[in-house]
Amino acid sequence: MNPVRIDPQKAMDEVVKFNQRIAAGFTTLRALDEVHYGATDKEEIYREDKLVLYRFKGANKPTAKVPLLIAYALVNRPYMVDLQDDRSLVKNLLAMGEDVYLIDWGYPDQSDKYLTLDDYINGYIDRCVDAVAKRCKVEKINLLGICQGGAFSLCYASTHREKIRNLITMVTPVDFHTPDNMLSHWTRGMDVDLFVDTLGNVPADLMNWCYLTLKPVRLFQQKYVGLVDILDNKLELENFLRMEKWIFDSPDQVGEAFRQFIKDFYQANKLVNGGLMIGDKEVSLKNVTMPVLNIFAEQDHLVPPSASRPLKQLAGTKDYTELAFKGGHIGIYVSGRAQREVPSAIHEWLAART
Amino acid sequence: MSDTKPNQDWQKDWQALQKQYWSAWQDATRNAAGATTPDPAAPWHEGMAQWSRMFADSGKQNETLERMLNGAKSYTALMQAMIGAAAGQPSGAGPKLWTDALRQGFDLPGMDALLQGNPLAKMLRDIGGPGAQGFDQLSASFAPFLQQAKSEGMSWLNAPAFGYAREHQEHFQKTAAAFVEFQDAVKKYNALILKASQRSFDVFQNKLAEREEPGRQIETPRALYDLWVDAAEDAYAEIALSDEFRAVYGEVVNAQMRVRAQVQAEVERINTDLGMPTRSELNSVHKRMHDLRRALRATDGASANAEIAALRAEVKALREAVHARVPQPAATTKTKPAATKAKPAAAPVRKRAAAVAKPRSASRKDAGSFIDALAAMKTKPGSRA
Repeated sequence: MNPVRIDPQKAMDEVVKFNQRIAAGFTTLRALDEVHYGATDKEEIYREDKLVLYRFKGANKPTAKVPLLIAYALVNRPYMVDLQDDRSLVKNLLAMGEDVYLIDWGYPDQSDKYLTLDDYINGYIDRCVDAVAKRCKVEKINLLGICQGGAFSLCYASTHREKIRNLITMVTPVDFHTPDNMLSHWTRGMDVDLFVDTLGNVPADLMNWCYLTLKPVRLFQQKYVGLVDILDNKLELENFLRMEKWIFDSPDQVGEAFRQFIKDFYQANKLVNGGLMIGDKEVSLKNVTMPVLNIFAEQDHLVPPSASRPLKQLAGTKDYTELAFKGGHIGIYVSGRAQREVPSAIHEWLAART
Repeated sequence: MSDTKPNQDWQKDWQALQKQYWSAWQDATRNAAGATTPDPAAPWHEGMAQWSRMFADSGKQNETLERMLNGAKSYTALMQAMIGAAAGQPSGAGPKLWTDALRQGFDLPGMDALLQGNPLAKMLRDIGGPGAQGFDQLSASFAPFLQQAKSEGMSWLNAPAFGYAREHQEHFQKTAAAFVEFQDAVKKYNALILKASQRSFDVFQNKLAEREEPGRQIETPRALYDLWVDAAEDAYAEIALSDEFRAVYGEVVNAQMRVRAQVQAEVERINTDLGMPTRSELNSVHKRMHDLRRALRATDGASANAEIAALRAEVKALREAVHARVPQPAATTKTKPAATKAKPAAAPVRKRAAAVAKPRSASRKDAGSFIDALAAMKTKPGSRA
């Protein structure tokens, strides 16, 4: 039997409709407002170098007794957690009574290129944790690490147990050597010293190019063919462009931190194999003894679930919970399903432990 | 195409529908400036090209739109080629015929011959933009550095340098050699991408074969396109996750960095000659600044920690001293005095604590309260409450 059964009239209708949408786009695009991001009001509570620590302001006073600090990855901007009114992890957490703080790493430049992971983890994160704890008059806070920020949070929680009450990791790589991890596979043939010595900081465009080449046809062509489908819908188009902005609004990567991250995490897989030193502190996941909620996305091509799951065996905690989200690396923050499932899962898990 | 329609009828319908497409296209563009009569030889693709020109003329063009129109162009051209080619085939056209049509659909008129039959290479080339270029594009941008080497033959790269300009000559030789290595690495990378493209056609054919089952047939051009995308990504992932690709990828990145480093060194030399600041100078300043900050923080932190520890011990000793002087309720008189449990603190603290605890033998009146003791401590120079 012929595997293709396209009715010519329907095929033509589809192509005609495709053109009509492009024509509509001609009008829609003219009427499009500049896209904005960030749905929730926030206040600055600490600043150091290019880092700013924010506290989000909810409509009501938080009911949670322990504040929640979000540590995002360095490779993208953290406003993904509060992208727009109807797609905001932060807003939903606030509505449930959480007291939410966020580290914004800023955009590093060449003057920052000697910042190390020690500076980030035992320096910046530690001082942010202290600032939040002091403000809320608590000894321990809850920490939510996302992606690379999750790996940082694991390191921090392992070496500063006395300051973390509960740890949540989202789309966080732990085992960097799983066979489906393309990004990790590619980095293992690279001379990272030569790379960083030559580039200094790693340019954001280069990072984005690398990410696009993980799935070139899907990310560079199919996605934009799909864009035509929504060209006649102003709201959808704004959502698309907002996301597009986030994807490519990337900071450069600080050279020294990048060097160590690639060497110790991607190449040597030290979170699993051991021997990871952040400054003068040895990181062992066995020391992650506080309750842990590990959330990962089942269709994540950047951090495959197989990279996150090993935390269950490696962490020293006796209170480990796992949440497999049906979606991808970005959908876990912005999809409709994410709005329904992720904030409530976090809130309920925390509520049971504070 | 449709199993229920005789082939001749299908072709007739298809031609009629192509005309219908143009009619609809003209309707859609009636009010748009710059629309011209499209080339009927490649109507879908040409129609997209016109959209691209019109958006550009309207000033609404940006990178996202450009990408969208490029994607749309490729999509419609591919679908037109496939459906057009299939229209000439018997109604029972199988996966192989569709795959051949797909293969031809990528080879657009005027396309770079190197990209023919290699859709993944085209995709990777298209990704390049300001600040991020594919390996091919970088290779092209470095080409002028090698022009002289090519014209004189490569043997000079190994020739010994001497005389006043020997350092410069050696540097240029190294640059040229690095570039040659980079080009070789890019060739190996491109060969693997071509392999992935070729593999994508096999995967597509296999996926199509799975759709021969009743109820799983493809019914829209978009579904056909999506199947091709799945096939291309599967084939690419297969190659990209191979050990060979890892080695070649590493080689091409490393070779590129060696070329960049050579070019940077030359720019530095020129800047130095002109008395301009250089990257190395700034690096040196930044590094010193970070080292200083760390040293300062470490000193500050260590001394603060020591002082906090000392003060904590002192407060503890004070508590114990005060506690020892306050009459205990009968129920607690049997317990051992807390002061005896206190672990010895650091030497200076012990001295301070001892000084405060000393009035143990003095009268209860002189011992004072805990608050008095703290107040007394505050007056001591250098102490922090």
